[in-house]
Amino acid sequence: MRSLMLGAALAAAAASASAQESGGTMVMVTQPEPPNLASYLSTSGPIGQVATKVYEGLVTLGWDFEIQPALAKSWEVSEDGLTVTFNLQDGVTWHDGEAFDSADVQFSIMNVLREVHPRGGATLSIIEAVETPDPLTAVLKLSEPAPYLMVALNGYESPMVAQHVFEGTDIRANETANAPVGTGPFKFVEWQKGQYVRLDKNENYWRDGRPYLDRVVVRFIADASTRTAAMENGELHFAAFGAIPNIDVPRLEEMDSIEVTTKGYEYFAPIMQLQFNVDAKPFDDPAVRRAVATAMDREFVVENIWFGFGKPATGPISSNFAASGIYTADVPSFEVDDRIAAANKMLDDAGYPRGADGVRFSIVHDMTPYGEEWRRFGEYTKQVLAEIGVAAELRYEDVATWLKRVYTDYDYALSSNWLFSMPDPVLGVHRQYHSNQIRPGTVFVNGTKWSSPETDALMDAAKTETDPAARAELYAKFQNIIVEQSPIVFMHELEFTTVYNTKLHNAVSGPLGVYNSFADVWLEQ
Amino acid sequence: MTDLSEAPHGQGAPTTRGRAADFWRRYVRNRSAVAGLVILLTVIAMAALAPLLYPADPFSLAGRPMSPPMTGQFLLGSDTLGRDIAAGMAHGARTSLLIGVVATLVAVGLGVLMGGLAGYYGGWIDDVLMRLTEVFQTIPSFIFAILLVAVLTPSIVNIIIAIAVVSWPALARLVRGEFLSMRNREFVQANVVMGMADWRIILVQILPNCLSPIIVAASLLVATAILIESGLSFLGLGDPNVMSWGFQVGAGRTVLRRAWWIVTFPGLAIMLTVLAINLVGEGLNDALNPRLRERAS
Repeated sequence: MRSLMLGAALAAAAASASAQESGGTMVMVTQPEPPNLASYLSTSGPIGQVATKVYEGLVTLGWDFEIQPALAKSWEVSEDGLTVTFNLQDGVTWHDGEAFDSADVQFSIMNVLREVHPRGGATLSIIEAVETPDPLTAVLKLSEPAPYLMVALNGYESPMVAQHVFEGTDIRANETANAPVGTGPFKFVEWQKGQYVRLDKNENYWRDGRPYLDRVVVRFIADASTRTAAMENGELHFAAFGAIPNIDVPRLEEMDSIEVTTKGYEYFAPIMQLQFNVDAKPFDDPAVRRAVATAMDREFVVENIWFGFGKPATGPISSNFAASGIYTADVPSFEVDDRIAAANKMLDDAGYPRGADGVRFSIVHDMTPYGEEWRRFGEYTKQVLAEIGVAAELRYEDVATWLKRVYTDYDYALSSNWLFSMPDPVLGVHRQYHSNQIRPGTVFVNGTKWSSPETDALMDAAKTETDPAARAELYAKFQNIIVEQSPIVFMHELEFTTVYNTKLHNAVSGPLGVYNSFADVWLEQ
Repeated sequence: MTDLSEAPHGQGAPTTRGRAADFWRRYVRNRSAVAGLVILLTVIAMAALAPLLYPADPFSLAGRPMSPPMTGQFLLGSDTLGRDIAAGMAHGARTSLLIGVVATLVAVGLGVLMGGLAGYYGGWIDDVLMRLTEVFQTIPSFIFAILLVAVLTPSIVNIIIAIAVVSWPALARLVRGEFLSMRNREFVQANVVMGMADWRIILVQILPNCLSPIIVAASLLVATAILIESGLSFLGLGDPNVMSWGFQVGAGRTVLRRAWWIVTFPGLAIMLTVLAINLVGEGLNDALNPRLRERAS
């Protein structure tokens, strides 16, 4: 996996050194075909892959999550953190010719994203009003400081939509859901269902000389081996988010015409985990949870089950946050020489002796019902537990039943799972640990029933702390407590691959990866 | 065409030993049936000896993942997690045979009950039962089995239920046909005149006389049941706590290019076992089917 990243870095360096060329048609594949192109209505991945070329956000993100200009040229955050003033780009027009101005920003945030976007309701709830002193200035008034806000204003998470298109209509049923009108580098042209979406160059794009490409064609190919073959013979230039199965990736990577990178997914930072029901025996005892965390061999799981696409995780916050200082590796470590012996000793010491049959206690282990790898992971977990005297029976249910078991009934002891960490802990991490996130019926929130006034207080403080150093300190404490208490065993940071043709340059240019606008992407003729 | 089908079973027949010898003589005349029997006995032996040969859990992570055959302690190599393929196959044989036999017994029970009642009573009972059978027969059996297991959640009991539910209709029709032809034979009518209870006539008089085709059909059903179980496991609908050949093939298919042995050996086991059972079924057919017997002598 290291070599993959290094390769990507070298490719990126080489790309920026050579001269950009204009023109050409880029062909990418998106799997599966999106149901619509309304990224203001859904965070679904395939929708975002297409819609981010058409809709833009106020800002975009650099590799270390530094906020970079997009529709907003510049911005100021007031001393108290309660006012954010955006100065908008001059001369931006919608694809239908109307001018883009601050009223569109106001409408997008207050009437669209806060109302209908799945995450917008929570993320943007602290925005009390958007003031528009002039057409090129938008002022966000916040109810409390929100250090996570800026990062969420990117084109994938918070697309800016046209007021004149949506006003007075039912936003959820607007006719542009399948034919978006944005400000982005590419204009929507047509969508042949089951085949492709065609996006053509926006000749009036506000950035001079961009985009380089004349056209982006997004193809939909249902069969995995057909996608691999199309990539192999050069029919496709670009495939992201597992569109090419991991198992085929090493073979493609050896081809001279194909490049593979695991970068461009930092925005999501998914962590693979084993989660306990900390409310029920036997995992209400932190010593038992730590024993399980000790017994699991993270390297083995990454190498043999995920075919090397991942890296061992150390705690609740992804190492992608290292640059912003939020992540710390300085937490209790479960790495020991003889994992099984150490875990056995921990269980002996904690007062769980083995019975005559060598079993300390029996549990049922629920497996994430997402397919092969999760099955293998469950089988592996069962064997490891057997070695430390825990008899586990495996259970594999359909997604709806499993979600209900974990997030509504809490009728489980130990389940595998994976969640996106998102670009700020407030967005992706708090939901799993805050006691106010124990919300029966809401999925991918606090399913372990972990509840601690101490961690609640740390998260509440970090949510409004605007000083980066102080915030990092709060999160360092948080990570230490969570790892020490281990309501969740952090297995590994999941890696996805982007496979692209070497003729394509700047294909992955930031943590948003495939969700970038592709204005800078160019094709060697 | 005298001893088995015309006279009531078990009365005034030749000695059991003589009949068995007769049966065996006819069976061995079919060479491929003997070969099938040898393979099947090997599989049975493998299943019986599995706990002795491989006392450890077949899921245990025994060594280096993806070891090729004949390396280290692995006779047939190891899979992606380092599980011993040979151990998995030995324990998988138990699963396959268990599911094959039990599911068949359940299906035969259901089939005989439905077919027997329909054939013996005829009339509206026949109509109702046969329409019901047809409803089941119109649904593609493997798809139906997938649906049942998915709804019932994968476990060994549910897999047996699913296989039995999709397998009984064919048997029911077979049994019904046999019963229809027996219903009006003299010995049955004699029993009716004697005032024998219906259930006794069905169980003691007619059923023993149509056992041959049932045995042949059931033996083939075992093969089908093993195939369905393998297919379900391959698709990830097997009991996750039980080792089976289909599971091994399914778990290894993603690495076919890199580790051919993971899918090959269990795949061969499925193929050979199913083939063997079919050959044995054919041999049984030769040995038990009266018409063929007549032609032969």
